Amino acid sequence: MTFNSSGSNQDSQAIANFNDTGITRNFSLDVLRGIALLGILLISIWEFGGFSTNEQTRLRLLQKGTDYNLYYYISVFFEGKMRALFSLVFGAGILLFMAKPNRPGLVSTHELYIRRNMWLIGFGIFNAIVLLWPGDILFQYGVMGILLFPFFRMSRRALLIAALVATLIYCGKMYWNYADDKKAYKKFKAVTLVEEKFKKDSTTRHQKDSLAGFSTDSLKVRDSTGKKNDTLNKEQAKDKGAWEGMVKNLKYDSTNAAVKKDNKEMRSGYGKIWNYLLQRSQFKEAAWLYRTGIWDIGSMMLLGMALFGFGFFNADFSKSKYLVIAAMCLIAGFLLAWLKLDNQHSKLVDYAKYIDGHAIPPNQFFPIERLLFATGYAAFILFFIRVNILKWLWGALSAVGKMAFTNYFMQTLICTLFFYGYGFGYFGRLSQQQLYFLVAEIWLVQTVFSILWLRYYHHGPVEWLWRYLIYGKRFPNKKKME
Amino acid sequence: METTAAINNPQPVLQTDRIKTIDMIRGFALLGILLMNIPGFGINWDAWFNILKGPHNTKDYYTMAAIMSFFDGTMRGLFSMLFGAGMILFTLNKKELPDGPSVAEFYYRRLLWLVVFGLFNAFILLWFGDILYFYGLCGMVLFVFRKTNPKWLLVLGFVCMSITMLKSQLQWNETREKRKAYTLAVKAEKDSIKLTDEQQAAKAEWTEIESRTAAPDTTFTNRNLRKMQSGYGTIFTYWIPMNTDGEIWALYHQLFWDGLTMMFIGMALFGWGFFSNRLSTSTYAMWLLIGYGIGIPIGWLAFKDGLLAQVNDFSGFVDRYRIQHQLLYDVRRILLTIGHASLLLLIFRSRIVPWLMKALSKVGQMAFTNYLMQSIICTWFFYGYGFGFYNKLKFHELYYVVFSVWIFQLIFSSIWLRYYRFGPFEWLWRSLTYWKKQPMKK
Repeated sequence: MTFNSSGSNQDSQAIANFNDTGITRNFSLDVLRGIALLGILLISIWEFGGFSTNEQTRLRLLQKGTDYNLYYYISVFFEGKMRALFSLVFGAGILLFMAKPNRPGLVSTHELYIRRNMWLIGFGIFNAIVLLWPGDILFQYGVMGILLFPFFRMSRRALLIAALVATLIYCGKMYWNYADDKKAYKKFKAVTLVEEKFKKDSTTRHQKDSLAGFSTDSLKVRDSTGKKNDTLNKEQAKDKGAWEGMVKNLKYDSTNAAVKKDNKEMRSGYGKIWNYLLQRSQFKEAAWLYRTGIWDIGSMMLLGMALFGFGFFNADFSKSKYLVIAAMCLIAGFLLAWLKLDNQHSKLVDYAKYIDGHAIPPNQFFPIERLLFATGYAAFILFFIRVNILKWLWGALSAVGKMAFTNYFMQTLICTLFFYGYGFGYFGRLSQQQLYFLVAEIWLVQTVFSILWLRYYHHGPVEWLWRYLIYGKRFPNKKKME
Repeated sequence: METTAAINNPQPVLQTDRIKTIDMIRGFALLGILLMNIPGFGINWDAWFNILKGPHNTKDYYTMAAIMSFFDGTMRGLFSMLFGAGMILFTLNKKELPDGPSVAEFYYRRLLWLVVFGLFNAFILLWFGDILYFYGLCGMVLFVFRKTNPKWLLVLGFVCMSITMLKSQLQWNETREKRKAYTLAVKAEKDSIKLTDEQQAAKAEWTEIESRTAAPDTTFTNRNLRKMQSGYGTIFTYWIPMNTDGEIWALYHQLFWDGLTMMFIGMALFGWGFFSNRLSTSTYAMWLLIGYGIGIPIGWLAFKDGLLAQVNDFSGFVDRYRIQHQLLYDVRRILLTIGHASLLLLIFRSRIVPWLMKALSKVGQMAFTNYLMQSIICTWFFYGYGFGFYNKLKFHELYYVVFSVWIFQLIFSSIWLRYYRFGPFEWLWRSLTYWKKQPMKK
C-alpha cells in the first residue's frame, strides 16, 4: 500500500515541493488503491467475523444454495485478487516515490523510502500484536518494500520479466507443497501395507500355534508377545499420523468442535485473545512471509513497477487498449478460476483419490489467475477513468485511497471492536449475508469519512503520523478554507 | 590516499583505507567462529548429551567446558559487532553522487546479495549453521542508524537485548507452568482424585518433556547418522526443512534480536574508536579485566549450573530457578566479546607476535571467503559425499580439525592477498554489488 502525499498542500512550501508528479497518475493510483482497500475487506471479514473454514468446506461440498453462490462468487472474483491489486498499486507507488528529487535540508529520498518502510513494519506489528489483527499485511509490505528497494532502477522490461519469474516461482511453490502432500500420502500408504502384513502375520501365527497344540493360556501369551513385535515404530506412527491429521483438517467436521472452541476464545477478553492470536500473527509474519508472501506480494509489486514504467497508470494508453487488456485478463483469469473448481471439489471429497488421479494441485495456477484478475480490474477501472464517466464515484474512491493507511487501521478497529469479546462479541454469530451487510456499512462509513476528512485536512490522521515519523518533522495538516 | 577516481566513482574500499585492527579482530572472530561451529559440522547432537552426562574427567568434557564457558556465542557476537562497524565504514566512506546509484542502493544491493549467499551456504553448501542470511536481513535495519550517536546506539543494543531476555523469560515461565500442572496432577493422583482430561494431558506432556531431556532420541540419532553418511542428494533434501525452519523461526524469535543487539553495540563501540585502536592502553586493560572478570564466571555458572544441570535432572532444574538460567546469556556474551577484543588489541600494541597479528588481519580482510571456505572444507571432510568423518571423531578431536583449518586459512589468506586485491568470494560479492567486474589482480 502506498500512501502518497498526493493531496496538494500549497500552504506548506516543504510539502508543496513533493507534488512533482502528474495529477492523473496520482489520481488513478488513488482510485485503484481505494478499491483494493475496500475490496480487501470482502475477504478479511471471514477471519474478522468468524466465517470458519469448516463452514466454507460445508458450502463447497454442498455446491448449491444462496449461501454457496455468495461464497463462490466472492471467492472467485475477490479472494487473493484484492490483495494482488493492492500490491500492484504499492509497487507502482515505489517508483512514484523514487521519482521525488532530493531536497536540501531534508533527508534524501532513498533514506526516506527506507524509513517509511521500516515504520510500516512497526505499524504492522502494532496492528497485529496490539490491535490483534493477525491478517495484517502492513508488516509484510514493509519488509517487501525494503527487499525490492535494490530493484527500482531496473528497466521496465526487466521488471516485467522479474514479475513473471516471481509468479512462476510462486506456481512452483504451489506444486512443491502438493509434492510434499503426495510424499506424505505415499508414506502413509507404505505404513498401511505394513499394518496389513502385521494383521496377516498374526492370523497365520495364531493358526500355526493352534495347530501346534498350545494351551489356551500360552496361546494368549504368544499372541500378546507377537503383537508387541507387530506395532509400528515411532517413524511409521509419525508418518501415519501426519497424513491422517492432514486429511482430518480438510474434512468437514459436523461436530463443529474447532469452530466452537474458536468462537469461545474470540469472545473472551483482551488478554486471552492476545494469547490466542499471538501464534497466528507470528506465523503470518514469519512463516507465511518466507514461504509464500515473498512471491505473492513480490510478484505483484514488481508487476506494478513494470506497468508504472509502461505508463499504464498514467491513463496514457488508448481507451481500446485498456478495454482489450481488461477483457483478455478477466476472461483468462475467470477461465482459470473456473477450471480449478472441479479439482477443488474432488480434493475436498477425497484427497487420497485426488492425489492418485492428478499430477497437479487445484491451485497450481492460482498465482497467474490472481495476476490476471488484478491487472484486468486495474485496466477496467483505468478505462472508465479514461473515458471520464462515473466521475463522482472515482472521486469518492480516490479519497478512500488517499487515506488508505488510515482506512486500513479503521477496518481493524471497527471489526475487532465489533466482533471480539472485549467489544461487542459478534464473532461467529453472523451469517454470511449479515457479514456482507456489515461490509457495505463499513464501506459507506469509510467513504463518507474520507471525503469529509479530506475536505478539511491534507492527509489522513495515520498518514500524518507516518509522515511525521518519517521526516521527523511536523507538517501542518489543516487546509486553508476559502 | 584518496585518489580522484575514488571520489568520483563509488567503489570498494581501497587497501590503504582499511583500518588494520578491524581486519585483525574480524580475522580472529572468523577463525573463532569455527570453534562453535565444528560440533555442528562434525558430530551428532547426542555427543553433547553423553559428555555432559559424565564422567567429568575426560578430555571431551574439559574441552566442552572451556569452549562453552569461554567462547559460546562470543565469536558470533564479535563478528556481529564488526558487521555493524563495517556498515558505518561502508556507508560513510562513500560520497553521494548527483547521478547514479546512491550509497543506500549499494548498501541494500550488497545486503540482498549477502542474503543470497546465505541461501547458497545453507541450501547448496549444506551448512545449516549459516549466518550470512541473518546478517543480510539484520543489516537492512541498520542503515537508518548509521549517523546515530553512539550513546543511543548503545541504548538500542540494550533494548534489543532486553527483548531477548523478555522472550526467554516468558518461555521459561511457560515451561514452569507445564511443570506446575504436572506436579499438581501427580499430587491429585496420590490423593486418589480422578484426573480431569486436562490434568491427564498435562501429566503426559511433562513426562514426554522429561524423557526427551533425559536421553537423546535414538530414532532421531540413527536417522541423522544414516542421512549424514549418504550422498549429496540425500543430505540436500534432508536439510531443506531444517534450513527453512531456521531461516523462519530462528530468525524471527532469536537471531534477529541476537544480531541486532551486537550490531548496535558494535556500531557504538566503533563510534568511540574502540575497534580502531584509538583508546589508551589502560582503557583496553580495564575492559579486558571487566570483560573477562565478570564474563568468565557467568559463563562457567551458565555451563555448570545451567547446561550440565539441565541434562542431569531437568525437572529439578526447572523447580529450582524462577528466573531463566540463561537470562544473562547476552550480558555475558557482550562482556566476553569486549574482553576478547581488548586482549587482542593489547597483544597488537605490545608487538609480541606481529606476524600473527598481520596474518589475522589478512584472514579478516577476506573473511567472507574464509567463512564460506569453512563450510566447504568442513562439509567435505565430514559429510557422506566427502570423506565421511561425521561422528567418527571424538569431541576433543574435532578441535584438531579446527587447528588445521586455522593454519590453512592463515597461510592461504596471506599468500592469496599477496597476489590479489580481494578474496575470491569478496571479489564476486563486490562485482555483483557494483554490477561490474572488479579488478582482481594487484
